[in-house]
Amino acid sequence: MSKFGDHIRARRTALGAESPQYGLRKVASRAGISPTYLSHLESGKTKPPSEEVIEALARELGENLDVLMALAGKISPRLVEIISKRPELFASVIEQFADLADHAIVRVVREVRDGEW
Amino acid sequence: MLELNGDTLKFTFPEIHPDAELTITFVRTLRIPDDDKTYPLPPGLGTFPLQHVDDHRERVPAKWLDHGGVMLPMYQAEALWIKFSSKNIPKRRTRYPFAVKIGTGKISAITGDEWVKVMTEDDYCVVPEQPWIDGYAVDDDQVRQFVAAPLGAGFTAEEQLTGKADHGGIQIEVYPMDFLTFDKKFPKIKPREVKTSGGVTRGGGFAAPGVYASTLCLSDSMENERGVSAEMGIGAGGKMKQEIFKDPHGMEVWQRSQRARCFVHLANSMAWEAITQKKAPTTPVTASVYTRQGYPWFDYYDESQEALGGTDKLKGLKSIMELGFQKGMPMLPENESVDPSDQVFVIKGTVGEVRVGAW
Repeated sequence: MSKFGDHIRARRTALGAESPQYGLRKVASRAGISPTYLSHLESGKTKPPSEEVIEALARELGENLDVLMALAGKISPRLVEIISKRPELFASVIEQFADLADHAIVRVVREVRDGEW
Repeated sequence: MLELNGDTLKFTFPEIHPDAELTITFVRTLRIPDDDKTYPLPPGLGTFPLQHVDDHRERVPAKWLDHGGVMLPMYQAEALWIKFSSKNIPKRRTRYPFAVKIGTGKISAITGDEWVKVMTEDDYCVVPEQPWIDGYAVDDDQVRQFVAAPLGAGFTAEEQLTGKADHGGIQIEVYPMDFLTFDKKFPKIKPREVKTSGGVTRGGGFAAPGVYASTLCLSDSMENERGVSAEMGIGAGGKMKQEIFKDPHGMEVWQRSQRARCFVHLANSMAWEAITQKKAPTTPVTASVYTRQGYPWFDYYDESQEALGGTDKLKGLKSIMELGFQKGMPMLPENESVDPSDQVFVIKGTVGEVRVGAW
């Protein structure tokens, strides 16, 4: 059992219901890992993989890299860069959100502003 | 609604349909030679970075803040193409349809007319039929490549057609298909018939070392001597084979009350670094080096679509090369002709196939 493995398997089987391109072997081959390793990752028999493999899986399964990294207990370099620019601000923001229910946290969408032209 | 997602503009219209989503990227490519030949489609060599102009309020020209929108860096004489990708909806065997107007310096790239804030007949292209646009529609199967030139030096399409250098940049306006029409044209199908579609790809994946050689642009000192601004515009480069397809649905299907638009500013690469404190990408490889390496060029055709003809205004558009020659200012270095005819990868339009469910 691992959150990472469960998530990967659930996503792969959901995609597999729509297309034969998401069999264990096919996904493993496109991600550049062996089917056995992918199977072990999914069943939690092995520790979460390297960032490189997580990136390949995120790409193949159309998943958000930051989310997969977090499930694997890592923080993506992109997030590290963002947080390290304003560490106090983001530390306090994350702490404030830590105990909130999902529905209470709304994704902040930043629109591209249109002006006069 | 328009969001900036990394290097991608993401237009969504949740009030029309949850899958009404169009993404647009600006693709780096090589500049095709401007000679008497018509070239196939050059490859994609990665995307241009995009940033909100609002994130650099202190450093961008005030006019950019008036326009809003985003900005990207270009070298003088660098080329780009614009890629459209709308969301695949397997249950309806289509990608959500959009009409897209494209302008440079507020001149329509499809008609050559000055930009108007409404949709007019045949002044837009239709996605997913049109997967990309590389230049100004100068004939029914030809475009002249979009190539960056400093705004104010007289080389952009805007300056040539209006005599002014007021706007620069690239303008985009997007209209989704009206939902009732969409629902009627693309009804839901039974789950067992659902197939996913791969979409169309062009380039990428073969960017071997050396493809991003830094050999293309004019020296910046030349530019400074002429006292030209940091702002770039787009002018006409060499000819390539590309069709701008006519709207197969008719103008009445587009939801004109729900358009979204974006002004894309073009910063000279040096100015980009001063504004953002980030390096601009290096210039792409030249056409001759790329071709000698045996890398692929592309040809796209879709027999099921009718092409727009190209207007007299655009047919008469002079290229940057020609203008440079007239002004005695050589504008395009490395314009050596190439012969890629043995390395053209043919892509057949997939739109019709997706609709009839042939795959």
